[in-house]
Amino acid sequence: MIAIGLEGSANKLGVGIMLHPDNGKPPQVLANIRHTYVSPPGEGFLPKDTARHHRSWVVTLVKKALKEARISVRDVDCICFTKGPGMGAPLQSVAVAARMLSLLWGKELVGVNHCVGHIEMGRLITGSTNPVVLYVSGGNTQVIAYSSQRYRIFGETLDIAVGNCLDRFARTLHISNDPAPGYNIEQMAKKGKQLVDLPYTVKGMDCSFSGILAAVDGLAATYGLGGEGKDDEASEDGKPTRADLCFSLQETIFSMLVEITERAMAHVGSKEVLIVGGVGCNERLQEMMGIMARDRGGSVHATDERFCIDNGIMIAQAGLLAYATGFRTPLKDSACTQRFRTDDVFVKWRD
Amino acid sequence: MTYTPPPLPPPYTNTSPPPTLLTQGAEAHLYKTSYLTPTTPAALKIRPSKPYRHPILDKRLTRQRILQEARCLVKLVREGVSVPAVLALDYEGQSENNNGGAWLLMEWIEGLVVRVVFERWEAFMKCSGELGGKELEREEKKVRGLMRGIGGVVGGLHRAGVIHGDLTTSNLMLRGLSSGEGEGSPGMEGDVVLIDFGLASQSISEEDRAVDLYVLERAFGSTHPRAEKFFEHVLEGYQGSYKGAHITLKRLQDVRMRGRKRSMIG
Amino acid sequence: MTSSLESIQLPHLPASLPIHVALYRDVQNAPFLRQQLISGNADFEYAFIDASSVLSRTHALSAVFRAVNDYLNERLKSRNVHSEIVFSFSPTNNIADSFRKFGISDSTKDLLVVKVSTAPEITHESVAAHLAQSVEGTPAPFNDETLSRIADITKIKKAYKLGSLNVAPAGQTNGANDSGKKLLENSLLGAIAIRGAT
Repeated sequence: MIAIGLEGSANKLGVGIMLHPDNGKPPQVLANIRHTYVSPPGEGFLPKDTARHHRSWVVTLVKKALKEARISVRDVDCICFTKGPGMGAPLQSVAVAARMLSLLWGKELVGVNHCVGHIEMGRLITGSTNPVVLYVSGGNTQVIAYSSQRYRIFGETLDIAVGNCLDRFARTLHISNDPAPGYNIEQMAKKGKQLVDLPYTVKGMDCSFSGILAAVDGLAATYGLGGEGKDDEASEDGKPTRADLCFSLQETIFSMLVEITERAMAHVGSKEVLIVGGVGCNERLQEMMGIMARDRGGSVHATDERFCIDNGIMIAQAGLLAYATGFRTPLKDSACTQRFRTDDVFVKWRD
Repeated sequence: MTYTPPPLPPPYTNTSPPPTLLTQGAEAHLYKTSYLTPTTPAALKIRPSKPYRHPILDKRLTRQRILQEARCLVKLVREGVSVPAVLALDYEGQSENNNGGAWLLMEWIEGLVVRVVFERWEAFMKCSGELGGKELEREEKKVRGLMRGIGGVVGGLHRAGVIHGDLTTSNLMLRGLSSGEGEGSPGMEGDVVLIDFGLASQSISEEDRAVDLYVLERAFGSTHPRAEKFFEHVLEGYQGSYKGAHITLKRLQDVRMRGRKRSMIG
Repeated sequence: MTSSLESIQLPHLPASLPIHVALYRDVQNAPFLRQQLISGNADFEYAFIDASSVLSRTHALSAVFRAVNDYLNERLKSRNVHSEIVFSFSPTNNIADSFRKFGISDSTKDLLVVKVSTAPEITHESVAAHLAQSVEGTPAPFNDETLSRIADITKIKKAYKLGSLNVAPAGQTNGANDSGKKLLENSLLGAIAIRGAT
């Protein structure tokens, strides 16, 4: 079986083609391409601009993917697309493209939950069978574990997502959004040395980031580090630098993430962690998670930017799993939804 | 790869026989050991340092949390709420080589956790099939009594201005029950003792109190389906335990409505 | 030699650090003993505690345990482990105040003496001999029965700011109310344990 996956819930437009061989051999990625809408420094991406980006690129990307996969339209079994959660306008523009392809080619539609897409792709790539999943991106922060046909949310953010917190601080510092604000914060944090005190807000398995963002923004303002063209080098008289703030922000929020993940692991008795979502690319987060998992006698699984960051292949993968169990999304039900909880999905393909 | 607990912090490196590891949570390890005399049992909670965290942050959090727990317990002991007494504390842990960690030594509570009491009761009810009216009434009366006792102690906790933060049937004990009695209907007499204040905080907000009760209610729902219908008696016991209890109970209804169904934005 | 000196090995503390404890009633030379402390006479490096401030054996040993643990971790707030023992009875960080409330005074009649074997030459025998020639008082066993006859519950509750604690009514000093005494004792142990935790 072959599926095309279309993803565009945020500022990345992804098209992926996935093959599940009939002989039961491992799935194969035939194509995985992505085009990112990058907003100028100091600005976030707005829904309407992002949607326009997706509309103008989707046809090109689909053509390119088919070519790269060396398949023809006839070989495709279904069109998978992100049903949600995500930003309304970008989601819609990609759903329109999916419907169009479905009608044009006479292929069935499979609506996919974005978060489940991340989880299934992570499981496939890392071979981790039943991990506790930390899903961290610009829009989501969840600790998830599988139990009787659902990906259950054990903990989540009580306000903004961790990626959003990082992105917004990047805006405060006018750090470039290319290739991604979080990536640039990570590079800057490597030069940081001094840990400044920031709030640390974990409640059971939930956490909160808005207070931390306000605090670090406040420090940037106090020390005159916000805005454009500021020196990143060490400052005199022990005042924190921009790098110190990036470093402290990462150390604090990643500690919170590792802590809630560890709590979930203890709760369900699991020794494996899988990190998915864009923030999951961060090597410091992976390192910290690795130390925690090792101390519990387990291990951490993470993927690189090809699969961590939003992509089409994960939608194709989760879509194909559902498709194989007979799941279809009729045209009339193919509307997308900004709010779509991970635990709303009935996971028929797992025991 | 087998798990080996981190080395014990001083002075427990001297302890002979060494403390016995009981449970390993995400945050803390619980040991059984002694205090002041070799025959006085005590519970030792260790918060090992977390090597994944920046050392400054680690120290700050470890210290803050063990202190928070100890302060809540000390306050509750003073208010006469039934919780383990704090015997000794070291919130610095070992400063030199960062190994070991902060520790809290507490009174040993001899008894059974309520989770086990209910598991035994549910097993008993299951295998005794249809009980006669009289027997059934006796069984249910026992459960109602225990439920009211739980409500009373949680009420006492809230009256004292403390929120437990993790109320489950594993964090409630029945003092005096021995673990030996495996057969038959378990006893439900005795003092209910609240344990594990690792997530506790001081608060008198009715929202926090209501959430505390809601967490307990959900814990009953998920772990003791047969006993769940008696949860109203927990609230009954709670109702009479302090002056503002009825306000909290009213708030509980709002919290239930909200549930944890927080819709998320993509 | 009729010594009442008891040597105790507290669990968790190194075997090399036994604790020597003696209780005296009807002490006649409290001003002299106190003077030795004030003048810093090294021969009199003891924890001299006014036993009327001591509720029970557990209460006293808890303060000793805390002080010795702080000593082992090199965290003493006062001059030496013996002054630290007196300080460890205190629920607050005020050292001078802790000596006023728990230490020996000129009018002390019942005296609890504690000595830690911080050096090899400090042994049961050496401590017993020195105390026998220094303290003019009647040795009494260091147990709850004796202490309950000495303890001034009102004074103790006041020192620990536990006035509202629901225990045996003031004046009823012989622990008639067992659960009340347990509650009071647990409250004291908690206060000792969390002192300094701000």
